[in-house]
Amino acid sequence: MPAVTSAKAVFSSDHPLPWLFPLIAMLVVFTIYPLIYNIWLSFHEYAPFRRELEYVGTDNWVALWNDERFWGSLSVTLTYFVVVLIIELVLGMAIALLLDADLAGFGVMRGLLTLTLVIPPAITGMMFLLIQDAEFGVLTWVLEQVGVLDGTAPILSTPSTALLGVMLADIWQWTPFMVLIFLAGLRGLPGEPYEAAMLDGASGWQIFRRITLPQLSKVIAIAVLLRGIDLFRMFDYVFVMTSGGPGTATYTLSLYAWQQTFSFIKWGYGATISLVSLVLILVIANLFIWIAKVRW
Amino acid sequence: MIVESASRRRVRTVLAVAVVALFVFPLYYWTTTAFKDAREIFNIPPNVWTFDPTLKNFEEVFGISLGFLRQQEVLPGGGNFYMAPRLWDSIVVALGSTALAIAISVLAAYALSRMDFRGRHAFVGWVLSTRMMPPVAVAIPMFFIYKDIGLMDSYLGIILMHTLINLPLGVLLLKSFFDDIPKEIDESALIDGASRFLVFRRVILPMAKGGIAATAVLCFIFSWTEFIFVLTLTQTGLKTVPVVSSSFVTSTGTAWGNMAALGVAAMVPAFLFILLVQKQLVRGLTLGSLKQ
Repeated sequence: MPAVTSAKAVFSSDHPLPWLFPLIAMLVVFTIYPLIYNIWLSFHEYAPFRRELEYVGTDNWVALWNDERFWGSLSVTLTYFVVVLIIELVLGMAIALLLDADLAGFGVMRGLLTLTLVIPPAITGMMFLLIQDAEFGVLTWVLEQVGVLDGTAPILSTPSTALLGVMLADIWQWTPFMVLIFLAGLRGLPGEPYEAAMLDGASGWQIFRRITLPQLSKVIAIAVLLRGIDLFRMFDYVFVMTSGGPGTATYTLSLYAWQQTFSFIKWGYGATISLVSLVLILVIANLFIWIAKVRW
Repeated sequence: MIVESASRRRVRTVLAVAVVALFVFPLYYWTTTAFKDAREIFNIPPNVWTFDPTLKNFEEVFGISLGFLRQQEVLPGGGNFYMAPRLWDSIVVALGSTALAIAISVLAAYALSRMDFRGRHAFVGWVLSTRMMPPVAVAIPMFFIYKDIGLMDSYLGIILMHTLINLPLGVLLLKSFFDDIPKEIDESALIDGASRFLVFRRVILPMAKGGIAATAVLCFIFSWTEFIFVLTLTQTGLKTVPVVSSSFVTSTGTAWGNMAALGVAAMVPAFLFILLVQKQLVRGLTLGSLKQ
């Protein structure tokens, strides 16, 4: 029997399983199995002298609880997540409101903003490394001219400002993500409530607060969810820009897990950290979906 | 529509131009860096507007001769900065993973759009939660699994991981495009005696062509820009462009010009692609949840 006929027979019934099977197989093999493997790994550790993994019980989990670097990286991750999310949200909304007009050149400008979204984040990191270089970076130079920097404390190698320098790359690359989504939301709003509000003499802020914002709530929820996920698991920028430094100032959970596994050969411990990061993000994101009633 | 006064329109235009210019500037600076030689890159104050353009960086990165390098500087085999094979790796991985992700996603998306079954909502939730997983939590175990089964440093290994990261996008976005096609079309064809597969193949796929193309473009871009899986699951073999960009940092300094040249080469195809899907971009970025 030719293969085509059998494929037809399989896909002809109204049972969804044949249609979903390749997807289920991929997800089981590449997410469920690695997850189980990771849990197993978290109860083992590489023993350098025997050159193999040995069972260590809950050692990694206990060590994690007492590891100040772990708590530090959790705090860096949460700081990054909250600060960047708020900045991108507010800035994104402001720019969307600004660009929401049918004036000459505005279509082109909206198009230009989308370009940042397709740049590999690792390359964006390099771009901002160059711009913020301690000696010849163009941003460093500008900030020195206006007196914000004095040449003694370069942005990316000073503990108090390094995370800001990394955030800058993220804000540059992903604020346009918010802008585009909000613009689409703004364009879909009906015009009548605005006309009525204008006739009633409402101020611009009142109109935004009472009419625009409530109608955009679904759009905002989706943008916050998707961006929030990526902010929480951020890795690329810190890996290429600071490798977690100076000191531990820019260690995110993802970077800390990766370095423990691959730079310090603590396979089980790295797996343990990555599991914590996984559980936290699944809990936070699903809680958000439930509270904000996001639907797909 | 609220009509603004001429002076408010002028203020809006000036502000908009200033904001967009601020966002375009890093791109401009990076692109011009690709055309500078080291002396000008390290100049203080930075050479923003005036410099002597050279194609030297591109010659080194692509192993071609355009007459900017002196003959003896053209290294056989291309030298340390020869990256043309890495572009090829990126293309193979992106095309392979896009094809696989689309093939798997169209089938699943059709079932999720057209068939009612118990647990469908939970299933969509499962697909979505794949989008939430931190890549590092998958990359760490996959490193050991790939070592065991010999998929390290292989196209297949990376293609499978990039397929995985694109599956939530593919399934949810294609489902939203299929949802746009009225169910009555399927139903009338089914009543006429056509099989499910025939309806899918001959009616639904052709009608969703545009949506499938847009989804494929986005899958390509996400594979093209992916970093951590390639970083973790390759050692000496293939490497994609984002990952090799950090190899320009050497003990004798960073080859910014060469890195920028490679970066520009990596951005140009992505820019062209994103302009192709402008209309579906917001829908794509929100996994089909918002329609423009």
